[in-house]
Amino acid sequence: MFDLIIRQGRICDGSGAPSFIGDVGVRDGRIAAVGPNLGEAGRIVDASGHAVAPGFIDPHTHYDAQLTWDGLAQPSLEHGVTTVIPGNCSLSLAPLRAEHREFLGAVFRQIEEMPKSAFDAGIEWTWESMAEYNETITRDLGVNVAPLAGHSLLRLWVLGYESRDRASTPEEVRALCDLLRECLDGGALGMSTSFSDVDHEFRPVPSRLASMEELNALCAVLGERNRPLQLLPEFWAADLLATRIDIMAELSLRHGISVTFSPLFESASTPGLVEAAVERLELHAARGARVTAQMQTRPLDMTFDMSQVSAVFSAMPTWMGTLLSGHEAIQGAFRDPATRETLARETETDRMPIALDFHLSRTRLSAATGSAHADVGRTLGEIGEERGLHPAEVMMDISLEEDLKARFTASGLGHYDDAKIGVALNHPQIQIGAGDGGAHVQRFATYGDTSYLFSRFVRERKALSLERAVQRLSADIAEIWGIQGRGRLIPGQAADITIFDPETFDRGPEEMAFDLPDAGESFRFIRRSTGMKEVLVGGESVYRAESGYSQARRGAIVEGASR
Amino acid sequence: MSPEDAPAPLRRFLHPQPGEGWEEIAGRVADADVATLQSWNLHLAMRPPPIVLTPVDIVFVEPPAP
Repeated sequence: MFDLIIRQGRICDGSGAPSFIGDVGVRDGRIAAVGPNLGEAGRIVDASGHAVAPGFIDPHTHYDAQLTWDGLAQPSLEHGVTTVIPGNCSLSLAPLRAEHREFLGAVFRQIEEMPKSAFDAGIEWTWESMAEYNETITRDLGVNVAPLAGHSLLRLWVLGYESRDRASTPEEVRALCDLLRECLDGGALGMSTSFSDVDHEFRPVPSRLASMEELNALCAVLGERNRPLQLLPEFWAADLLATRIDIMAELSLRHGISVTFSPLFESASTPGLVEAAVERLELHAARGARVTAQMQTRPLDMTFDMSQVSAVFSAMPTWMGTLLSGHEAIQGAFRDPATRETLARETETDRMPIALDFHLSRTRLSAATGSAHADVGRTLGEIGEERGLHPAEVMMDISLEEDLKARFTASGLGHYDDAKIGVALNHPQIQIGAGDGGAHVQRFATYGDTSYLFSRFVRERKALSLERAVQRLSADIAEIWGIQGRGRLIPGQAADITIFDPETFDRGPEEMAFDLPDAGESFRFIRRSTGMKEVLVGGESVYRAESGYSQARRGAIVEGASR
Repeated sequence: MSPEDAPAPLRRFLHPQPGEGWEEIAGRVADADVATLQSWNLHLAMRPPPIVLTPVDIVFVEPPAP
């Protein structure tokens, strides 16, 4: 007798092997049997006409904050994601001393673009250590979590604010290693670092002030337990990225660890980058290095306004300085003729490309409530031509009219060459990830990359088979990250299961949701799913198409590898 | 291919020592003054102060391939 039988589904077991029609039996939160006609159970789910697959693992998220108020990581679950990995890019929310909360919050909100009102309203700081953070989120956890310890936080804990300015001493390196061990003991899956991020004051994040000796020492700790390192490299230039891949390979080989970086991003502004990176990855894989790139499935569009910094301006120092200066100062700059001219001119330069194909003239006005409302949907180039103004001046004028609340959407920023991406998503040194779930919430919907894989690359482009797509999202990621007991539909594994219609599973349109914990003060962009029948975590149904999310809370801090 | 068979780097590079600036690095690199070195490393030369170079940065010590 099983607790649950999923009957007559098309079983994709995560191995990539051909699917077959059969039953999946669940008992005590685990898969107990897979085969034909399994008999009776407390609950029967008729899965005929549906694919039955292991829950997907999202390896690149920033759900650290959201998980404190939403243990379901909505709406990722309805896209089949049953395990999330937060704490990427050197930024987690633990370990963190109480006196550093305000600073780290500002850094996190800036880099991951989380509205301050939501962050402040949603987070009740009940932890300092990684173990305490995990204890906090597991009180109401409906999704599995494999948290990373952020290198910047480790440095902030040990060096204090000097972590922003200097390398560590040998004694501090030992303290950092001890702290990382404590985090791993407390449930961290591995560590993340960054070679690219800048904080709210446009300074490198603390991880970037580490020495290579410090990084090696920390990787040695990861190697003691076969735990992974995630990092954000200089992803925007082919020779820089290839060189950083060489460095990653040496770390992997020296310490016997899996190293994964994100993103591997394709765009017209970086021709040859993906090919150069893949060539380097293949060379090092042949040596035995375990280095994988993360690649997102979706093309990148980005919505922004002039009230805060957006990544599209990160190559433009005058824009960055202006947008960091505060509401009144921004308005003052937009009214000042000399500054306007400087800002307009800067949008035409290419001083430090960051792989985004950003063209202001093709950027559209996407939201305005005043007189500019009539121009919503038009490009700044079109409006500028009509007004005899530079597109940047149009953007500044409309923003002034709208008290900086007008929104603009830059489309086609990159990752839209489906033929090239379809091949890459199949590559053994590339994993599907880099989706940024829970971050950049007012820029674009970071949810639905999994369902988009099926609609775009399985059904439309036929770049992957159904079985291969499932494997890529489950078993492959579990193996790369050393996640134990998940990622396959075989007896003994956790019963994290998705049941979806392979002919209709897709992401819905991007929509605004006012569900952040600040009582509607801010919004986020989300995408709902279509074609997902049911999602189970630990054998309990957490999402059903007909009834939405349930009260089941079987999520866990997942177990990492050990030596 | 064995782990010891590291491929030649696409471009030779070094990491700055803690506290090292452009002058000191140029002193370590034959045939390169500060301006030349910066021209090979626009990703660092364009970085706004106060943090100019960090110990994990990649500093190329030869020009890009033609």
